[in-house]
Formats: sequence, structure tokens, C-alpha cells
Amino acid sequence: MKNLNNEQSHNNSLSFGEGWGEAFVSISTLNLKYQHKLVLKDLHWTILKGENWLLSGISGSGKTALAKAIVGLQSVSGEVKINFNTESLLPAKALFVESWYQFKNVEGVANFYYQQRYTSVQAKETLTVNAELMSYGKENNLAFADAEPILKALGFSALKNSQLIELSSGEHKKLQLVKALWLKPQLLIIDQPYTGLDAASRKHLNVLLDDVSAEGVQLILICNDAELPFCINRFATIEAGELVEMNSREIASALPEKYEREIPDFLKESPVYSSNNIVKMVDVNISYGEKQVLNNINWEVKAGEKWLLQGPNGSGKSTLLSLINGDHPQSYANTLYLFGNKRGSGESIWDIKQHIGLISPEFHWYFDASSTVWESIASGFYDTVGLFQHLPFSKSAQVDELVAYFGLTENKNELLSALPLGKQRMVLLARTIIKNPELLILDEPCQGLDLQQTQHFNQLVDELCSNGMTLIYVGHFESLLPNCLEKRIVLENGKVKVIERILEKNSIIEKENYSTLVEQ
Amino acid sequence: MANYFNTLPLREKLNQLGVCDFMDSSEFLDGVNALKGKKLVIVGCGAQGLNQGLNLRDSGLDVSYTLRKEAIEGKRDSWKNATENNFTVGTYEELIPNADVVINLTPDKQHTAVVKSIMPLMKEGATLSYSHGFNIVEEGMQIRKDLTVIMVAPKCPGSEVRAEYVRGFGVPTLIAVHPENDPQGKGLAQAKAYAVGTGGHRAGVLKSSFVAEVKSDLMGEQTILCGLLQTGSILSFDKMVEKGIDAGYASKLVQYGVEVITEALKQGGITAMMDRLSNPAKIKAFEISEELKDIMRPLFQKHQDDIMSGEFSRIMMEDWANGDQNLLAWRAETGETAFEKTPAGDVKINEQEYFDNYTLMVAFVRAGVELAFETMVQAGIKPESAYYESLHETPLIANTIARKKLFEMNRVISDTAEYGCYLFDQACKPLLGDFMKKVTTDLVGKNFNEGKDAGVDNRTLIAVNDAIRTHQVEQVGAVLRKAMTAMKTIKTA
Ligand SMILES: NC(=O)c1ccc[n+]([C@@H]2O[C@H](COP(=O)([O-])OP(=O)(O)OC[C@H]3O[C@@H](n4cnc5c(N)ncnc54)[C@H](OP(=O)(O)O)[C@@H]3O)[C@@H](O)[C@H]2O)c1
Ligand SMILES: [Mg+2]
Repeated sequence: MKNLNNEQSHNNSLSFGEGWGEAFVSISTLNLKYQHKLVLKDLHWTILKGENWLLSGISGSGKTALAKAIVGLQSVSGEVKINFNTESLLPAKALFVESWYQFKNVEGVANFYYQQRYTSVQAKETLTVNAELMSYGKENNLAFADAEPILKALGFSALKNSQLIELSSGEHKKLQLVKALWLKPQLLIIDQPYTGLDAASRKHLNVLLDDVSAEGVQLILICNDAELPFCINRFATIEAGELVEMNSREIASALPEKYEREIPDFLKESPVYSSNNIVKMVDVNISYGEKQVLNNINWEVKAGEKWLLQGPNGSGKSTLLSLINGDHPQSYANTLYLFGNKRGSGESIWDIKQHIGLISPEFHWYFDASSTVWESIASGFYDTVGLFQHLPFSKSAQVDELVAYFGLTENKNELLSALPLGKQRMVLLARTIIKNPELLILDEPCQGLDLQQTQHFNQLVDELCSNGMTLIYVGHFESLLPNCLEKRIVLENGKVKVIERILEKNSIIEKENYSTLVEQ
Repeated sequence: MANYFNTLPLREKLNQLGVCDFMDSSEFLDGVNALKGKKLVIVGCGAQGLNQGLNLRDSGLDVSYTLRKEAIEGKRDSWKNATENNFTVGTYEELIPNADVVINLTPDKQHTAVVKSIMPLMKEGATLSYSHGFNIVEEGMQIRKDLTVIMVAPKCPGSEVRAEYVRGFGVPTLIAVHPENDPQGKGLAQAKAYAVGTGGHRAGVLKSSFVAEVKSDLMGEQTILCGLLQTGSILSFDKMVEKGIDAGYASKLVQYGVEVITEALKQGGITAMMDRLSNPAKIKAFEISEELKDIMRPLFQKHQDDIMSGEFSRIMMEDWANGDQNLLAWRAETGETAFEKTPAGDVKINEQEYFDNYTLMVAFVRAGVELAFETMVQAGIKPESAYYESLHETPLIANTIARKKLFEMNRVISDTAEYGCYLFDQACKPLLGDFMKKVTTDLVGKNFNEGKDAGVDNRTLIAVNDAIRTHQVEQVGAVLRKAMTAMKTIKTA
């Protein structure tokens, strides 16, 4: 690795057009402090015309802050100069696509809850995708026809009439990408472009990114993924507040060492099951008006089983899980047994949730941002979003133990919303397991974590599961799964496509590649 | 039908007005048991109907909906809301005869007609529930003697009732049993179970009466909540424009200012709101709010008197019968005010600026909250009830103004509140004519502290702080807010 503070030459196999060699973005002596900690320290970075960068590195290293500083969303000391091409037909703009999505209801406020998308309400609270795109196009003088191919490539066309509240996290990500690719700003920075996208969409996205790059858009991608668009030609990471260039894309291949910290004793106890039948679905159907989201699902989960749930974006995975967690109003008209009881036989949703620890991207997004780290974790005992009661001594001691185990002690009184996303996610993962539940539902639990955090969390899941916990795990990234998974269910268009036993971790990877090929 | 309240002897009037008991959480240990296995049938599937029903079902209760025939045949929104969420929907004839509890969540104006058609179908000994007492108290609706009549009134819009429940919390709720209709003595147990079913018990339940709920609800909404916020907003805007302040700035300050200012109210009462001002501004706001209280006291008293005597309901129902002539005219007039017509300017106003440049609104809010509270308490309403209907709800309504100004506020509140609001506004604006002549831009539009000495007299400041902090609305509020601390994050209405 070389320090970028010194000007340097580099090899590049791409051919460069006019203006090659000129600086496009010049950043000098950038400094940023966050709560006494120096995040960026005299950082220098020169981006030349024609370059497309990958910025990778561990969670919390300042990647997002740096990106925001470039587009002026983060105040820093130092200098950022962008030398836009005045002759170009592309808008002279630097656009930052956040890894978080935000939308408002038609009245301009956003007080949503994560179950809301499952409830049918005629009075429409949010805009449709179409209306959202229309107003974006109008605001930026874009021709609607230019959006069509992008929508199509990302498999988004069918969602045009959906309301924003109905979209899953992966679909929100796609909506953001559609807007950015449609706008084609001269500088496009995307934070975590691939989170929540299925394998096919990731490939399509790379093609689209190569296309806009060929048209003159310069890219900075912030992520730790290995499959990148071809146009990416420079690689860097942030270390100790400084930018460090790396030679190639062999970035995150080094496997982190095993996490040696011992898990708290209260998490070593085996769950006590009231029934051997955790979930039983018989011909389950879910639809909104004409649109059928789940179609004749039959599935059984027995106590202690470890399931992998997979399927492309929009195949119905989250809806399936919402049935299990007591979050779906249409559960009541289906034949569904949870923990041995027929759904709708007098149980409350709190009776159900008491058995379950759940996390999903949507759950994170709608979580109470005004809770502290400690309160967020503690609220897992009561399945509430935010803490509304005092904890008895023994429980509060358990929260402290888990806070320490996750290395969050110094953050424990901070507001959740004040932490970087990766850390927030760690907090919510701790919340998920605090009560040592019978059933863990982990819907893309490691989104936003770096490689090391992901490995550590999956290792923890393996340890918990070895004590007999039941698991349902959703993950798109085949290489980043816990080892304990033993069965797999795959959904496609709301139907069960495959139910099978997993023999070895490697065999799944092969099959997954195979099914991805079939999808296309 | 005679006004129920007016049929009561004075002793009983005071008795019912005085029912007010902030219930301890130990009162809810029996959960939803009193309603378990019973058939709950909700009439109407609108804002309250759908959201209360979703909560009750998620609490393990048996819920279905009955709608008028036209709604079912026409597959109206209410029908879709219920069926698409997998509730059973049927006509009155199909569902009411088997119902153990019929929950009336239709608009208040329709209650007489609705209750008249469902009552004959209700089975012997069943329960009829309301979320507002207007029909029983003001219209004097007589309910069959074998039926139990209860009220469970969430003090928030329906969407919040649902959002807070799924978070694992709830919204503050008033419950009551109609003393004329509790033949088996089961009313209170059922009302408590219902409050548990909607999650209200987690945020605080006030045992009230139909009479206390209606008389305090009407008073609050007409005076401080909607009436004075409207009057104050219009007068403030007009004053700024008259004094040459940019209209876009004025529009923004008024539209969002009331929300920012009352956010402090929600967290720490009048004290917290006043503490956001500099010392000189606080003293000034205190002085003019005292003046405002003196000017407006007779108007507040008149509203309370007319509410108590039934005069308010009489003229309002007369207007209903008259095709809403006054209501529609006043609504149109509000839509045509300069404030309503001037879009908020594209200027940035930071949070503290809303206090510093809008001291007048702070004074309006203090005067209105305290006056409404005092007038209610003088009329025999208990302080806790008066608190909910004055201070507690002010930020909720302010929020609707921030969204889309007065038109939005008047669209969201009930017809009853809207009518009362206009009535107050029509009378209040002329009343404040002389007062407003003296108002200058340091109170509204510009920073009060600009060019002024920041010093104050110790004794004056101590006396002002003392008067603010020891007011009864602050003392009651401190206790009730503690029960609702978790409400801090509610983004309302
Ligand atoms: N909104 C609040 O913030 C709030 C708060 C606390 C208490 N409340 C109380 O809750 C009750 C309901 O208010 P809401 O705001 O929920 O009302 P809403 O949203 O207007 O809903 C009214 C429902 O009643 C039905 N309906 C209307 N006219 C009817 C008639 N003549 N016969 C039968 N059904 C009829 C409507 O369905 P169709 O028109 O399709 O038939 C609709 O489903 C009121 O007593 C109100 O005071 C409201
Ligand atoms: Mg009210």
C-alpha cells in the first residue's frame, strides 16, 4: 500500500479521453472530529479525470463522512474542489446516494412503523413510485423515457404503481439507484450500492454503472464487495483518518481471526420449547387487491432447525417472516400454527413475539431513533420499539453484559441515531438475542457491517444455535452465512421453489449460482 | 331527545363532572380477559374504527365489522379497509344480533341515526361502546335499559393509536361507564379490558364520565386548541405584513412556529416553553399573556357556559339541520385568509429563532392553556381532565397547522370542533383589536432581544418564574407527563 498524500503514477489499462490527467476532484487537508475523536486527519485525495474509485474499509473508518464532505453535506475543515466540465452534457453535479433511504408521507411527515406495509389502508399515505419519479424527473429536467430502460434492467417496472411505504429495503435501494443513474451527474458517489440487492440485480447494476461511466460519469463506490463494475480503476481505504491507496481489488480477502470473547452465560442456556412445532403453514395465501404476494405456501419449521430462506428481491421473504412474527393482518384468515397454537385462537401478538428475536432491514429503518444504545437493547426483553419500563436488576445486568460483549460499553448512553449505521446494526443484533429466544429470525442481519463484524456475528449465531436455538436466516451473500444452516427454502414470485437439506456450505453456493443463471 | 346533562339535578351534574381518576397500572392486571371470547362488532371502519379494530384483534380478541348496506354494496373504502385486512364484514342484520359488544365508531353527527337502527337488533344484555360522549350527553340518546353503555376514548388520531400499539406502547385514553346503563355492573371491567386491547393502559388511563369527557372536550377544542391557535395565527401574520415583514417569512414563522413552540410544552409544560425565551422576553411574554387572559376571560367563560347549558350543541345542531350553512361559510372564509393564501417562504428559520421572533405566540399559548384550564376547573371539571383537553392536546393540533395551515387543522378535527373553533375565532378577533394595535415587530417577526439590554430585575424574574411554575396546570401536568414519558417520540396527527 502506498500513501496517497504523495503524488504518484499508476498503471491503468483503460483508455482515457480528453482531459485525462487533469484533476477532477482535489481534496486537501481535510479534518473532521466527532466527539473528541479525529475521524479524518489531514486527508488528501486527488481524483483525476476518467478515474472511478472504490473506497472500502472497516465500519466506522470515516468513508461516509468523507463522501458527505465531498458533496458538502458534512462540514469539515480543509478544502474540496470539484472541477466540473462545463462542456459536458451531463449535469455539473456531485450526487451522493446514501445507504439509508428516506421518504415522507404526502403530508410531509414520516412517522411510519415497520409493519405498516402489510396493512391495507385505502387512504393513501405515501406517493407511488411513479409519482415520485415524475416529480424527480420534473425537478431535474429529465425525460421519462430515459428512465424506462433503467427500471427494466433493475426489475423495477412492475413496482411503478406501488406506494413508497410498500417497498422493501432492497426495492428502496433500487429506487435510489434508478434516480441516480437517470440523472447521470458528473460525479456519482454511492454508499453501499449492493446492500439488499439480489444476485441478478447486482450484476445488472454493474452493467448500468459501466454504461454511465462510459458516458462520462465518474464514480466513487463505497463498499467491501468483490464483484465490481469493470470501470473501477482505483482502490483506496481510510486508515487512521488518512486515505491509503491499494493496488488492486484483493481487498477484503484476508479472513479475520476467530472472535475469542466468551459469550455471556445467560445465552448458553438451551431454550425451553413449549411445542416441537415452531411454524406450520398450510396453503398460505397473501394478496393485496389483485396482487398475490404469497401463493399456497406449505412450510414447517421444527424446534431446533436452522433454516436459510432465499429468493430474489420481491419474492415474498419478508412477508413470509411477518406472518411468523405476528405482524401481518392477513394471518388471521390463513391456516397457520405458531409455537403449537393456531393463529387467531385468542393469542395476542405479544404472546407470539415473546418467543422470537427478529431483525430485518425494515425493522432497523423504522426503529426508534431517540432511544439510547442501552435502552434499545433492553427493549428486546419486551419486544417493544423503544423502552417503556424499568428493568428488574437481573435483566439490567444481562443488558450490561451483552453491551460489553458487543464492545458497545463506551457508546451505551449515546443515542442510537448518533452512531454510524454499522454500529447501530450491532446494537439491534444485540437486542435480537438479549432474551435468548426460542426462534431467531435474522433477515439480512449483517447489512452495513464490515467483513470482520459479519464473520464475528455469524460465529455468534453458530454458538447460540449449538445450544438448540431455532434459526431462520435470510442472506443474499452466499459467502457470508453462518455454518450451522442445515435446511433451505427458496421463494420465487411468492411460491416455494425449493425446500431442501443443505449438506455442505459449498454445495449451496454452486446451486445458488445455478439458479441465478436460470433466473436470467 | 332532551340534553342528558340538563335533565340531571345539580348534585348529580357535579357528581358526573367530577369523575376523574388516573388509574394505576395495577388496575389492568386482568388484561383483556373481560372481553376474551366475546364477539366485538365495530360499526364503521374509518380512522378510529380500523385502527382500534386492528389493535383489539392483535390483542387476542374476536373483532368483526358491520357497515351500512351502501358501503358494502358499493365496496367503499371502509369495506375495503376491513376485508383486505381479513376481517369479517356483514350488514347490521347479519352481525349485530350475535354481538356481545357493539362499538360505534361512525362520525358523531351520524350517531343518532346509527344507534337508532342498530339498537333494536342488539341482543339482551349486550354492551354499546363509544369513543366520544356527544350522542349520549348532548343529544340525550336513550339506550335500552338492558344494555351496558361504555366509552373508550383515545386522546389521539387513529393512525397514532395503531402506530403506538405496534411499537409496544399506546396513547392516553379516557374510559367511562354511563351510570344510566350499567345494569349488570360489568361496564368498568369491559372498558378497562378494551383499553388494554388498544394499548391505552400503557400510556395512562383516566377514568372519566360521559359528561366530563364531552364538556371538557368541547371546551378545549373550541378555545385553546383550535380557536385560539387559529385567531393567534391569523392576527400574527396580518400584523407582520402590516409592519412590512416579508410575507413568505411571516407565513413560515406562523405555520411552523406554533409546532416548535408547543413541542416544548409537550415535554415540560408551560414552564419549559417559557424557559426557551431570554429573561427579558420571558417577562414580557408573561406580562402580555396576563393582559390577554384578562381580555379573553369573558369569552372563555361564555364558551364554557354555553357548553354546560347545552346552548352550544343546540345552535350547532341547528346548523347541521340547516345544511351546515354557517360551518361552510366560515370554512370558506378561513380558506381565504391572507395567511392561508401565502405560501411559506424558502427561508431557513432555526429552532431558537421561532421562540425569539415569535414571542407573541408563546404568550397566546400560555394565556390560552391557562385560561382554558382555569375555566374548566372553575366549572367543576377535575384538573386531570382539564389537563388532557388543554395542554396535552395543544401540540397535537399545532402539528396539523405545521402540515398545511388552518385548512388542514380544520379538516382533521371533528365537525364539532371545527364549528366551535370558528365560533370562537369570530368573537375573539374583534375582542383583541385594541391589544393588537399596540403589538410591534419585536413581539412578532423580529428578534425580541435585538437592541435590548439583557438585564432584568431579580425580584421580577423570581415572581414571574414562580407564577408560571406553581400554576395548577403545571403541577398536574408534571404527574401525568411522567406516566407518558415514553410519548416523547410520538410524532402526532
Ligand atoms: N378522529 C379522532 O381523532 C378521534 C379521536 C377520538 C375519538 N374519536 C371518535 O371516534 C368516532 C369515529 O370517528 P372517526 O374520525 O374515526 O370517523 P371517520 O374516520 O369519519 O369514519 C367514519 C366511519 O363510519 C362510517 N359511516 C359514516 N356515516 C355512517 C352512517 N350514517 N352509518 C353507518 N356508518 C357510517 C364510514 O363508512 P362509510 O361512509 O363507508 O359507510 C366510516 O367507516 C367519533 O365518535 C369520534 O368522535 C375520533
Ligand atoms: Mg378532543
